[in-house]
Amino acid sequence: MTQAMAQPPAETSPYLPRVGRIDEVRQFTETDKYFRLSFADGQGIRFLPGQFLEVSVFGIGEAPISLCSAPGDQAGVEMCIRRIGDVTGALHNLEAGATVGLRGPFGNGFDMDEAAGKDLLFVAGGLGLAPCRGFILDALNRRDEFRRVTILYGARTPSDLLFADDLKQWDQRDDCDFHVTVDRGDENWTGNTGVITTLFKKMPKLEPANTVAFIIGPPIMFKFAVLEALAMGLRKNQIYCSLERRMKCGLGKCGHCQIRNVYVCQEGPIFSYAEVMRLREGI
Amino acid sequence: MAEKPKLKVSFHDFTSCEGCQLQFLNCEDELLDILGHVEIVQFREAIDDKSDEYDIAFIEGAFTRESDRARLEHIRKCAKVVIAFGACACTGGLNVLKNYRGVKEAMRTVYGDQADWYETSVALPVEAAIKVDYKIHGCPVPKQEILEVVKSVVAGRTPRIPDYPVCVECKLKENACLFHKGQYCLGPIARAGCGAWCPSYGGRCYACRGLISDPNNNAAKDVLEEFGLTVEDIMQEFRLFNGVYDVAQPPDNAHVKSC
Amino acid sequence: MLPHILPKENFDDFVAWLMTQGRVAAPVAKAPNFSFDVLVDKDDIARIRMDYDVTILPPKKYLLPSYETLLDFNGPAPENVRAEIDARPTVLLGVHPYDLHGLQTTVAAFSQDPADASVLARRKATRVIGLNIASYANDEQFMADMGTVDPPDGVADLFLTDIGDRYFVEIGTEAGSEMRRACDCFRPAGPEDHRARQEYDERKAANFKKRLPYHVRYLPELLEASYDSLLWDAVARRCFSCGTCTNVCPTCYCFDVHDNLNIDAASGVRERMWDSCQLEVFAEVAGGENFREQTASRLRHRMFRKGKYILERTGKPGCVGCGRCSVHCVANISILEAFQQIAGEAAEMHAT
Repeated sequence: MTQAMAQPPAETSPYLPRVGRIDEVRQFTETDKYFRLSFADGQGIRFLPGQFLEVSVFGIGEAPISLCSAPGDQAGVEMCIRRIGDVTGALHNLEAGATVGLRGPFGNGFDMDEAAGKDLLFVAGGLGLAPCRGFILDALNRRDEFRRVTILYGARTPSDLLFADDLKQWDQRDDCDFHVTVDRGDENWTGNTGVITTLFKKMPKLEPANTVAFIIGPPIMFKFAVLEALAMGLRKNQIYCSLERRMKCGLGKCGHCQIRNVYVCQEGPIFSYAEVMRLREGI
Repeated sequence: MAEKPKLKVSFHDFTSCEGCQLQFLNCEDELLDILGHVEIVQFREAIDDKSDEYDIAFIEGAFTRESDRARLEHIRKCAKVVIAFGACACTGGLNVLKNYRGVKEAMRTVYGDQADWYETSVALPVEAAIKVDYKIHGCPVPKQEILEVVKSVVAGRTPRIPDYPVCVECKLKENACLFHKGQYCLGPIARAGCGAWCPSYGGRCYACRGLISDPNNNAAKDVLEEFGLTVEDIMQEFRLFNGVYDVAQPPDNAHVKSC
Repeated sequence: MLPHILPKENFDDFVAWLMTQGRVAAPVAKAPNFSFDVLVDKDDIARIRMDYDVTILPPKKYLLPSYETLLDFNGPAPENVRAEIDARPTVLLGVHPYDLHGLQTTVAAFSQDPADASVLARRKATRVIGLNIASYANDEQFMADMGTVDPPDGVADLFLTDIGDRYFVEIGTEAGSEMRRACDCFRPAGPEDHRARQEYDERKAANFKKRLPYHVRYLPELLEASYDSLLWDAVARRCFSCGTCTNVCPTCYCFDVHDNLNIDAASGVRERMWDSCQLEVFAEVAGGENFREQTASRLRHRMFRKGKYILERTGKPGCVGCGRCSVHCVANISILEAFQQIAGEAAEMHAT
C-alpha cells in the first residue's frame, strides 16, 4: 500500500510554466504593446495559427494571450497585448530582458493545409488582427499553396492600427490584396473610412465555393462581417472565427471558458460559423 | 532588487466606532511586516503624528455631516488610493438606521432639548461625497481582507474582494445551513469575504458586508416569507446594515441612489 | 476475490488499523447533517456514524480540495517556481454508492488529456471503503434512475454491507485484497452471510423506486429539446446564484486559480479553489463582457452539465442523484423536479 501511495514528481504539474524571456517590446498604440519572446530552456515551440499561451506574472496572475507570429516550429513567439487588466498591465510594465511564465500552446488552432488550393479571405477587426496575423503570415509564407489572398482590416482610428510594418508590406505585395479602413479618420488619413463591412465592396471577386474566410474581431464586427461573407455565397462551414472566453486553466477543466459542452481552451478558440451556430451560446 | 520607497498610509475616521481601525492593529502577527512596506503617517488610534502626504487613505465611518464633505474632498485630493474601510464607510452601516426615523427625531432621542447644538444629517456612504477606489466591507472588517488590500496595492494589482454570497464560504466550511436549523439568514444575498463568520459560530448573517452586486431580492423576500416572516420583519433585518440599498422604501434621503 | 465478513465488534480495530495506513476520513455528525471528517486520534473512532444519511459535502473534497496550492513562487519572475502536489495517503471510509460514482466521475474528468497531476496523484494515494445503502435518505434523491444505487466497478477497494451484527465485505480491487490480508479483522463469508447479503439486495430493490417519469437514457435528449423552454427562466426567479448547488455536488469540479501573496507582497502561492458556474462573474472575460449574465442561462448550464455535458465528455454520470443540491438549496430548487418537468416541456417544444 505504501508503495502505491508514493508521491509523484511535482514537475508533472500542467500548471508549471516554462520560462519565457522578453527579447523585444514595442509600443504599438496607447493601449497595445508588441512582445517578442524566446524560451530560456533553449527548446522551441510548435504551434498552429489561432493557438494561445497562458502568460504569468507571478503575484499578479495568469492570462491567455493569442500567438500572433508565424506558426510552425519556432524558437520564440510574438504577442500583441492590450492593457486591459492586472496581468496585461503588469506585462506592459516589463522591459526586454525580463522573464515571464509561459504555458501552452493551447487551443485547437487551424491547420492551413485544410485551406490549400483555396481563395483566402482574412477579415480582422481591432485587436483581432493579432491572432489573425498568424494565419496571414502562414499563408504568405506558403503563398504558392493558396489562390487569391485578401486581407481586410478595420480599426477605430489611424492611431489604433496595429503592426504598421506588416500593413505596409502587405499593401506593397502584389500577390495579396490588402484593404484597411478606420471608423474615424484624422487630418492625415487619406484611406478608407467606415466600418469594416464597407471593404467587402472594394475587394476583388472571390470564388465563393472555393473560399475559406477567417473573421476575427469583436462579436459585433463578427456578426456583420459574417452576413457579408454569407451574402458573397460562402457556406457556414467555410467561415472561421476565434471565440473569446475566460480561458483560465487552458486544460479543459476549470469550466470558465465552457460553451455548452465545449471547452473553448481545448476544442476552440477557432470554430467554423456552422459550429458556432450549433453551439448557440457562441456569439 | 532596489528597495521600493515605502507607501505612505493614513487612517481617517468619520461617524463610526473606530473598531475597524482596531482590526488593523489586530493584525498583530503581520503588522511589523506590513510596516516594512508602508509608513503610517496619520492614525489617531495609534500615533500622534499627522501628515497630509499619503498614498493610501483608509476612511472609516459614515458621511453624516455636510461639514465633513470638505475633509473628505481634501483626503481624496491628497491620496492616490482611497479605501472605504468598514461597513459605515461602505454602506453607511448601522448609522443609516437613523435615516428611517427622520434625522430630527433621531437628534431629539439622542440629545434631548440640546439637539440644536449639534450638526448631523442623513447617514451616507463615503462614496456619496467622493470617489472611492476600493471598499473593505464588514462590521468589523476581516483581517484577511485588510492584508489582501495592502498586499495588492503594494504589488500593483486589484485586490480580490468577493462579489458572491456568504453561502459560498459557509458551504466550503461545511456548516449546517441555518435554514435547516430552523433559523434564517441573509447569507444568500450578502457579500462574502468574512469566511461566513457568524454562521460558523451559530449566528445569523446580517449582511454587514453589504449585498452582492446583483442580489436576487425577490427570491430573498419569497424565501423569507415562506419562512414565516412578514415583509416588515424582512425589511428590519435588511435595513440593519443595508438600508442604503432599500430602493422599494428609501429612507428620507433621496440622493442615496445617486451615489 | 471471495467476500469476507467484518464483525462489528472488530470495527474499531479495523479503523485503528486503517489509521496506520494514512489519514482516515469518515462520516461524523454535523447536526442536523453529517460530514466527512478526518479522524484525529483513536478516540475519534467513536464519532464515526456508519448510519449517516448523506453528508453536506461529498468526499470529492479529498481528491479536489476546496483550496489547494499548485505552485510556489518567490517573486514576479518564473525562474524559481516550484510545483506542489499534496497527495497524502488517505482512506475514505463509509462512502455510499452514489458518492463512489461521484469520485469516479471526478477522476474521469481530471484524467482527460491533459491530465491533472494533483487529482490523479491523490486518487492514487487514496483507499476507498464503500458502504451500502438500503433506501433513499430523502425525497430529493433519485439514484435508482441515475444508476448509482449500486457501486461502480473498481472504485471501492472494499465495499461494506451492514447485515446486522457484521459487515459483508466485498473486495473490489487488488489493493482491497491486500488490505483484507494485512488486517486481521476479517473472516471468510459463510452461507448465512451470503443469504443475508442477498436479502439486503432484495430490500434495496423494493426500496429504490424510480422517480423520473422516463428512462435516464433519454435525459440528455430531453434536456436538449427543452433548451428554449421558459422553465429555466421560471426556476431562475427563485435562484440566488449562491453556488451552494455546485459546492455540494459530487460531480462539479469547476475551479478558479489565483495568486495569493505573502506579506512581502512578492512571494506567494498560486492557488486553485472551487468555483461555481452559478456565480455571476464566472463567465466574465477581461474587459467585462459576461457570456452567461442571466441567472437563467447559468442555471440551465448547470442542469445541462449534470444531465448531459459531463456524461457526454466522460461517459460517467454528471448527476448521481444524491439530492444534495436540492436539499441544500435555500430556495428549494430541485434538480429532480426540473428533470421531471422537462419531459413535458420537451413534448411541448416539440409540438410547436
